[in-house]
Amino acid sequence: MSSAEKRSDPSEKAAGPAFECRSVTVELLHKFSRKRIIEDISFLVRSGEFLTIVGRSGTGKTTLLRAMGGLTPTASGSVLVHGKQLDGPPDDVVLVFQDYSNALLQWRTVTANVAFGIERSLDRGEIEQRVHDALALVGLENNAEDYPWQLSGGMQQRVQIARALALRPAVMLMDEPFAALDAMTKASMQDELLRVRDRTGTSFVFITHDIEEAVYLGDRIAVLKGSPGRIEQIFEIGLPAPRDQLSTRQLPKFLEYRYAVHQAIGRHA
Amino acid sequence: MTYSRPWRQYFTLVVEALPSARGLLPLVALLVAWQLLQTGNSPYFPPPSDWWNGLMLLAKSGRLYPALSATTITLLLGLAVAVVIGTGIGLLIGVFPRFSRAVGPLLEFLRAIPPPAVVPVAILFMGYDERMKLTVVVLAAIWPILLNTSSAAERVHPLLLDVARSFRLSAVDRMRLIILPSVVPAVLLGIRVALPVAIVVTLLVEILTSIEGIGALMIGAQRNFQSPQVYGLLVLIGLFGLLVNNVFAVFEAILLRRWPPKTQSEMF
Amino acid sequence: MRKNNFIARINWPGTAVFVFVGLAWEAAVGSGLLEYEYLPAPSAIALGFGELAGQGILAPDIAHTLMSVAIGWTVAIVLGISLGFLLGLSPTARRYSLASIEVLRPMPGVAFAPVGLLLFGFSLKTEMVVTILPVLWPVLVNTIGGVTGVHQRLYDVGRTFRLSRKDTILRIILPAAMPPIVVGARISLGLALVLAVVAEMVGNPEGLGYGIVREQQALRPDLMFAYIVTVGFIGIALNAAMLALAEALFPSFRQLRGGQ
Repeated sequence: MSSAEKRSDPSEKAAGPAFECRSVTVELLHKFSRKRIIEDISFLVRSGEFLTIVGRSGTGKTTLLRAMGGLTPTASGSVLVHGKQLDGPPDDVVLVFQDYSNALLQWRTVTANVAFGIERSLDRGEIEQRVHDALALVGLENNAEDYPWQLSGGMQQRVQIARALALRPAVMLMDEPFAALDAMTKASMQDELLRVRDRTGTSFVFITHDIEEAVYLGDRIAVLKGSPGRIEQIFEIGLPAPRDQLSTRQLPKFLEYRYAVHQAIGRHA
Repeated sequence: MTYSRPWRQYFTLVVEALPSARGLLPLVALLVAWQLLQTGNSPYFPPPSDWWNGLMLLAKSGRLYPALSATTITLLLGLAVAVVIGTGIGLLIGVFPRFSRAVGPLLEFLRAIPPPAVVPVAILFMGYDERMKLTVVVLAAIWPILLNTSSAAERVHPLLLDVARSFRLSAVDRMRLIILPSVVPAVLLGIRVALPVAIVVTLLVEILTSIEGIGALMIGAQRNFQSPQVYGLLVLIGLFGLLVNNVFAVFEAILLRRWPPKTQSEMF
Repeated sequence: MRKNNFIARINWPGTAVFVFVGLAWEAAVGSGLLEYEYLPAPSAIALGFGELAGQGILAPDIAHTLMSVAIGWTVAIVLGISLGFLLGLSPTARRYSLASIEVLRPMPGVAFAPVGLLLFGFSLKTEMVVTILPVLWPVLVNTIGGVTGVHQRLYDVGRTFRLSRKDTILRIILPAAMPPIVVGARISLGLALVLAVVAEMVGNPEGLGYGIVREQQALRPDLMFAYIVTVGFIGIALNAAMLALAEALFPSFRQLRGGQ
């Protein structure tokens, strides 16, 4: 049985954390010297949770995500997915990149792009079903036969998200996915993402430098600070669900969280 | 950051940009293998050592240097004339869009005719002499320069032209201060494309007509079954082409050091 | 509406100039104004066409040149793409070969003619000696460039979807590198035609190139120009065919649309 078939519903997984980082340190080679990017990172990601990670540029957010995605090896510490230590990109985890136009296969239609991760491991009927479901989740059913370069930035990013969703992953790692989008598209994409989470039970680890976005989306927020980056603080966000762009953002609690996260990130050195 | 000796910096940059010298291994290995495997006196595949001797023979007989200089002079002169005429016409076409539209299809038609095909025409019209050879080289080299110049002149950013207008520049000054500097990179690119074409055409004329030059030497050697000389001259032409291209690349880099770097230059 | 648009899109001044030049040329020669011994009028060239076609000379010559182009180009494509992929995927292979390629690249094809004549005399093989190397370079260089130019992000995508090495090459790198490879193939095609003509001028008395030289020596400028114009048309046709082929095979490559 292929790994894609084994996965059915992420929320049926074992009760343990979907993701765990234990004292993770990552060093990268930069012009003949090893530079320590992040240090002693430890946290959990629960099933179905939306964890946002914020920090200034240079604190190693992208590096952390790539380490969690198995693309960058750790110098010390371990990353565990469902209790199993990972070596290489893990089965149940998908990365969604910020530069969508480079991450999509521009020569394939939207449908072919979404099917990319599953086309070798499932049979035709299952593939069609999953592609259809994924496109419905992101609202791109009418663009199935378009090419990515014919679509707007927001739509292309949705294609990338649909491609990830077609795998029915337990965890989606997203690297500032909405940073290149205009404010209105960003807002509607945020709500869409929350809807997807509600309907599929997938866990999300979401990097952003937009503090308001972090508070709006997150169940918890991890603040990365310093160079090398360390976890400064983790906030529990007790805002009501479902979130709403207008009313939630006006709640006094929202502003409190926003202020607190700002403080945690700190001023310029 | 010192700006005192920019040309030296660029020389270093160019040298660093060259591919690793280890890349010459295949060629060297080929030559060495050829040398070692050639025991007999094969008329078809003489060993590289014979090539060198053949060239020395030509040099001593006093025929090599005149031929080399004849080819080089034709090349340089032809390119120079092509640059002057090509840039001139190119600017004209680029600056007057209506002229460019009118002349467009005619140019497209002429462009489709490969320069080597024009060589016999020149021979017919002008006979077998140096003037004909020069004319053909000019005709061949003109196209890339002309086309690049005209397209660059057409594409001078409209904002720059607005700047010219707001500073109330005369037409001459506008050409001199804004349009001409804007097209310099394109002209240089045109020359870089025209170089190999010019070399091919020069050699072609020399081979067809035996007018003084390296090509004439080569075909002469072939007719006399002097195969070492043929191979030796081939290597010489290769080195010549390499030298010309690289010297021009350095020259171009130095000349363009004041222009903003381009991300991707167009091919042809 | 659409009919107006089509008519408006034709380059009237350009076509007019073209026709005008042709007519002026015809009139100048006909009236004796342009008294150049070897300059034929356009009408004479057209008649020359008819003469060559009628005598059954033109078609075989075209066929020969096209065959030469086909062989040279096909070999170049096969070699260029396979070698290009090898070098594109392996930095080590590149380190031990790029300098050699850079040294060989400026070699003018015509310089190989005497060598070809030495080895094979007047024959198709000599044409190949002249054609092969120069035609190889655009495809090779563009393939290497295309493969090395695949964005790092696409490799990340391959790894995050846990593709095997083979799958990464077939499903990501190959399609991603296609646009520059196709451009290289198109340039090589045009080059193959030019070199075939050159080779036929000096290395093999057959085909269109030889036709040009033969008629020049026979002092028949009308036929000579007919041959030259034929070469021009074939070049345009080959280029257009290549563009159409690329469009048909890779409809998703907007980069290839409307480009020269």
